Amino acid sequence: MATAARYGSRVDAGLLVGCVVLSLIAVVLKDEDREPVASALRRSVVAPLVSLQRGAERWRSAWVTSEQRQLVADSGAIRGIKEHALLVENEQLRKIVGLGSRLEWGFVPAEAVHSAAPSEDVVTNMTLTAGSVAGVQRYNPVVAPEGLVGVVQTADPTMSVAILYTSPDFRASAMSADASAFGIVYPHTGRGSAAYMLELRGVPTRVQLKPGTQIFTSGLGGTFPRGITIGTVVSELKTTEPWTRTYLLRPAVSPSRVTTVLVLTAQRVTQGTGNVWGVAVNADSATRRIAAANDSIARQAALIEAQARRAALDSVRRATIDSVRRSLGAFVSPESPDSANRASGILPGAPRAPVQRRDTTRARRDSIRPDTTRKSPT
Amino acid sequence: MNWTGAVRTMLVCAILIVLHYTLRPLLAWRASIDFLIVALLLGSVRLRPGAAAVYGFLLGLVADSIAVSPFGAAALAMSIVGFGASWLKAVFFADNLALNGFFLFLAKWIFDLIFLIVGHRAIDPELAMQIFVWSPLAAAVTAVAGVLALSLLKPLMEVRTT
Repeated sequence: MATAARYGSRVDAGLLVGCVVLSLIAVVLKDEDREPVASALRRSVVAPLVSLQRGAERWRSAWVTSEQRQLVADSGAIRGIKEHALLVENEQLRKIVGLGSRLEWGFVPAEAVHSAAPSEDVVTNMTLTAGSVAGVQRYNPVVAPEGLVGVVQTADPTMSVAILYTSPDFRASAMSADASAFGIVYPHTGRGSAAYMLELRGVPTRVQLKPGTQIFTSGLGGTFPRGITIGTVVSELKTTEPWTRTYLLRPAVSPSRVTTVLVLTAQRVTQGTGNVWGVAVNADSATRRIAAANDSIARQAALIEAQARRAALDSVRRATIDSVRRSLGAFVSPESPDSANRASGILPGAPRAPVQRRDTTRARRDSIRPDTTRKSPT
Repeated sequence: MNWTGAVRTMLVCAILIVLHYTLRPLLAWRASIDFLIVALLLGSVRLRPGAAAVYGFLLGLVADSIAVSPFGAAALAMSIVGFGASWLKAVFFADNLALNGFFLFLAKWIFDLIFLIVGHRAIDPELAMQIFVWSPLAAAVTAVAGVLALSLLKPLMEVRTT
């Protein structure tokens, strides 16, 4: 038994030594010697395993490639979404800049942060990133390029809260574009998309507004300046009021799309905004301004024309006198003042561009035009 | 070990070898699972040390012929590991999962140690990084995967600890 065990141990040791020696020989073999052995193994015994490994690597490569393709597609989609968002934001900012340049003064730009409570169906207020330090005060109108957004409810030093036109507390004195109808704008009490509509109440019965009529702030009451777009008439609402009409309005501004607004200061409200939102009722003042500007241009043109005419006549008169003096042999001063140049603003003695001087030694009869000498200046 | 046990063991070893050449390339982990070591230990503990050395040598030759590593390095490492596993199983191997895991960890690390030293033929920082960071990680992963594989394949094979 012990002999068999000893024999077995020797065999084991011998096998181990043999394997180690063979392995070491394989290790120290040159590449050109070991490659045929490896190649023969790969082609025969190990061939199934080689094909399995190749297949697995192919699967892996396909998976990685498809993952990369998916990532590329996802990146493209995200880039597209971002690009669209940037385009929209860019357009809004351009509009705000345009509105700011039209208003010129009396406003505070602010970013609008929507703060709808989860329980609220309708967004009724928004937080603005400008406060009393920037000049925002309570009851200042909040406007967007499209029109009226709301009014400031509270103004903290660095931020403020504005109620939107959807708030139950919102009211605005309004009128039609041709100032034929006046009324008060209230939020419409409805659900869903109708909750964002407005009502124009208190319009006299004799006045009928057509759908599509634009409604603007009237400036009455002093909170909102005249001429801010509120919305357009959709239809007339049936009410129990016998002497007044109520109209449903579609607001010009969508609260969900408002990201940047302008808060009009109290001074600007007092002095008005003019024709910033393109209201027709302000056209009369605009027309007056254009007419006045036209008048002043006409006056200036007439003045210049009269000066030029006077200068031309003066030159002709002097030329006539000089010619007569030369014909009589009298001395003509070369430094005679040039009334034409004086009229054109060139001072005597100032450097002038060289001028082709005409021959003054001989009097020319044709230089005196009878039609200019005989005519009197008009 | 009777014939049935031998066939079952061969079958499980074959499954593990196939997994080595299918699952490992699919996963492509930096510290990858070495199913060949699991197959080697699984067979070695059921063989005499000499036969285990030959088994390891053959498995190593297969690995060497497919891999781009120096030919013979894996054969040498697996011969030694197989012989050691077969010899040590008589000393302390038992049917215990934690011990099996440790055994697998040790076997894989020793295999990597021999394989890397014989294959590299020079000591450099990369070799040290491989031996002391990536090899232990690969050994741990192999130990966990080996324990899982043995647990799953347990019904298929007859475990003999004597």
